[in-house]
Amino acid sequence: MQKHELYRDKLTFADIVVQTRALFVAAYRELNARKLFWVALVLNALVIGAIAAIGIDETGISVFGYQLAIPGVTTKLFPDGKLYKVIISTVGVGFWLSWLSTILALLSTASMFPDLVTGGVDTMLSKPVGRTRLIVTKFTTGLLFTALQVSVFAVLAFLVLGVRGGVWEIGVFVVVPLMVVFFSYLFAVQAVVGLVTRSPIASVIVALLFWIFIFLIHAGEQFTLFGSTFSRLEIAGIEKKIASLQTEEAKSGLVLKLEDQRATDSNWQLAHGIFFAVKTVIPKTTETAGLVTRSLAVAADIGSEDEAEGDDENARRQRGFFRSQFVTERKLKAAIDEEMAKRPVWWVVGTSFAFECVVLLFGAWYFRRRDF
Amino acid sequence: MVFGRVVDWLHVGTIWQRRPPYTPRPMNANAAIPTFDSDLANDLAIDLGGVTKTYSGRVQALQGVAMQVRRGEIFGLLGPNGAGKSTLVKIMTTIVRATTATGTILGAPVGHRPTLARIGYLPEHHRFPQYLTGRQCVEFFGAMSLMRRSARRTRAAEMLDVVGMAAWADRRVGTYSKGMQQRTGLAAALVNDPELVILDEPTDGVDPVGRREIRDVLLAMRDQGRTVFLNSHLLGEVEQVSDRVAIMLKGKVERSGSMSELTHDSRKWCVTIQGEAPVWSAEFGAVLGAVLGGVSSARDEGRSVIELKTDDLALVQGLIDRLRAQGIAIVGVRESRESLEDLFMRLVRDVDGRTKAVGAGNITGGR
Repeated sequence: MQKHELYRDKLTFADIVVQTRALFVAAYRELNARKLFWVALVLNALVIGAIAAIGIDETGISVFGYQLAIPGVTTKLFPDGKLYKVIISTVGVGFWLSWLSTILALLSTASMFPDLVTGGVDTMLSKPVGRTRLIVTKFTTGLLFTALQVSVFAVLAFLVLGVRGGVWEIGVFVVVPLMVVFFSYLFAVQAVVGLVTRSPIASVIVALLFWIFIFLIHAGEQFTLFGSTFSRLEIAGIEKKIASLQTEEAKSGLVLKLEDQRATDSNWQLAHGIFFAVKTVIPKTTETAGLVTRSLAVAADIGSEDEAEGDDENARRQRGFFRSQFVTERKLKAAIDEEMAKRPVWWVVGTSFAFECVVLLFGAWYFRRRDF
Repeated sequence: MVFGRVVDWLHVGTIWQRRPPYTPRPMNANAAIPTFDSDLANDLAIDLGGVTKTYSGRVQALQGVAMQVRRGEIFGLLGPNGAGKSTLVKIMTTIVRATTATGTILGAPVGHRPTLARIGYLPEHHRFPQYLTGRQCVEFFGAMSLMRRSARRTRAAEMLDVVGMAAWADRRVGTYSKGMQQRTGLAAALVNDPELVILDEPTDGVDPVGRREIRDVLLAMRDQGRTVFLNSHLLGEVEQVSDRVAIMLKGKVERSGSMSELTHDSRKWCVTIQGEAPVWSAEFGAVLGAVLGGVSSARDEGRSVIELKTDDLALVQGLIDRLRAQGIAIVGVRESRESLEDLFMRLVRDVDGRTKAVGAGNITGGR
C-alpha cells in the first residue's frame, strides 16, 4: 500500500517548524502591510533623530547647531555621552517606548485575533495545527511588532550613543526583551478580549482600560505604602519620645497621640495590604518599565534622581500630606526603599508572567472549546 | 470570456487602472493536478456513524448522522438551510467539535489531526488573509498542511495554473473579485495533493464558465483517484457530477445512494397514444392496475398518456402489443424518473409535513 507523502501518525518536530515558520512569515507580511507599522517605525527614527540633533560640548548645549542659553549644561556636567544616556533613558524609553510606542503597537495588533476568529479560522482549523499551538504562535507573532520596533530603536540609540556621545554602549539592547515583556502583559489581555468579542475596537479599549486600572492600582499601592511606612515610623518615633520623657504629665499628650496613630496605622496597613494583594496578581507595567530605565541607568552609570537629591539628616518631614515631628525625610525614604528592595526582579516579572499565563490559558481554553 | 468581463465590471477595472484587464486562463483540469495512486479504492474515505451535535445544550444540529463515502467517488451532500450540512463538514475538519462521533476519515478516527494534512478543504464564505498574494496564500496553506518549501512552491504554481489564476498569482488577495478568490481557494484546497477534498459551495460567486471549469476539475480529481465531498445548494450541479448523494434534513440523513438508487422508486414508463385510453379486459386490467400510475389526456392534441410505474419491460411491451392489437396509434414511449430536484423537494415537503403533524399532535396532546 502506497502511503501519501503527508501521511502521519503524529506530527514531527520538523512539521511543527514548517508550520511555525509559515505563521511567522505570514505575521511579518501582515505587519508589513499595515501602515501603522511603518508610521511607528518612522516615529522611532524621528525620536532618536531628535535626540541625535542635540549637541553638547564644553561651551554649552545646542539643538541642530543652534546654541541654547542654558548655563552649566556642558560636557563637564555630562561627560562621556551621559547626556544622551539620560535622554534616551527618560524620554526615549520612559516616555516614547513605555507609552506612545506601546499604544501604537496595541492599535496595530488589535485586529490580529478578531481577524483570526472571523476570517480564515475555518481554513486554518482544518489544517493539522493544534488550537493551543495556533493561539500561542499567533500571540508570539504579535510580539514581533514590538520586537521589531524596539530593535530599530535600540540599534539607532546604540549608534547615537556611539557616534554622538562617543560611547559604544551594548547595554542599550536590554530594552528589546524588557519592552517585549512589558508589551506582552497588555497584548495578552487584548488578544483574549479580541478572541472573545471578535472586535478590534473592544479589544483595544479593554486593554487600555486595563492599563489604566494597573496604573491606578500601582498609584494606590505606592500611596498606601508611603502612608503605612510613615505611620509605622511615626509610631516608632512617638514611642521613642515617650520613653525619653520623665514625667507622666509630659507623656500623657503623646500617649493619646500614639493611640490615635495606632488606630490610623491599622487602616493604613489594611489599605496597603489590599492594594498590594491586587497588585501582586496583576502585571506590573510601571515596575517593568522601571527595570528598563534602571538597567539603562546602570549601564549608563547614571545616579538616580533620588540619590542625587538627598536631604538633611535631621530634617523633619514638614511638607505635603504627611507632616511629622518624629519622622525624617531620609528615614522615610530609606524605609520605603527597603520595602521596595524586597520586591526583586523575579517578583516583578514572575508574577506578571503568571497573570499573563493565566489570561492566555483562559484564551486557549476558550479557543479550544469554541465551535466556528 | 464572461468570467473576465464580470470581474472587470465589478472590481478590477476600477482598482487597477494601469493593470491589464483580468483575462483568466481557462482551468486545465487534466494538465497539472498530480495523480494520487491509491491502492485503497475499495475502502471508505469517510465512514461516519452516530454523529450528533447539540449547540448550547438545546439546538440539535445533528441527530445521529451515519454516512459512508467511498474512495475515488464524488459524493454530494444536499439539504436545505439549517439541515446540518455545514456542521457535519466542520466536524469532519475539526472546526466544530461533535457532541458524539464515531467513525473514520481516511482510516483515522474523526478529529485525528495529522490526517488533516491529507484533506483539502474549501469552506463556504472563506476569507483569506488580504495582505497575502494569491501565491503566498496557497503556499501558506501548503505549509500549514506540512508541505516542505520546494514541494509547496512547485505545487502552488501548478494549482494556480489549474484554476486559471497564474497570471494574477502575485496580486494581493484583497484586490481579488469573489470569483477569483473562489478559484484561489480551490487552489489552496488542492495544494497538498489531498486524498479527500471537501468543498463547501465551490461555485459560489463563480460565473457559468467558471462553474463548468470547476466541474471539470472535480471530475478530473475523481479520475485521479481522489475522493470529492461536495456540499452544495445547487442541485443540478450536484446531480451532474456526483456518483452518490446524501440528502440531509433536520440533522439527519434522509436518503443516500446513487442517483439511480434514489430515483428508482420513481421510475416509470410513459406511453403516449392517439385518442382515449381503451377499456382493458378484466385479466389485463388486473395486471395493469397494480402498476398503472394514471392516465392523463392532452385534450387539445387528442392524445392520452398512460403511466406505468414499473421496471418490468415485458409489461410495457405487453401494453404496447395490446394497444397495437386494438389499432391504437402509439405516438411515443419514454422512460421517466424523478429528477434530483423533484426528489429533494418531495423529501423536504414530506419531512416538513411530518414535523408539522408531530407538532400539531403535541399541541393537541398538551391541551
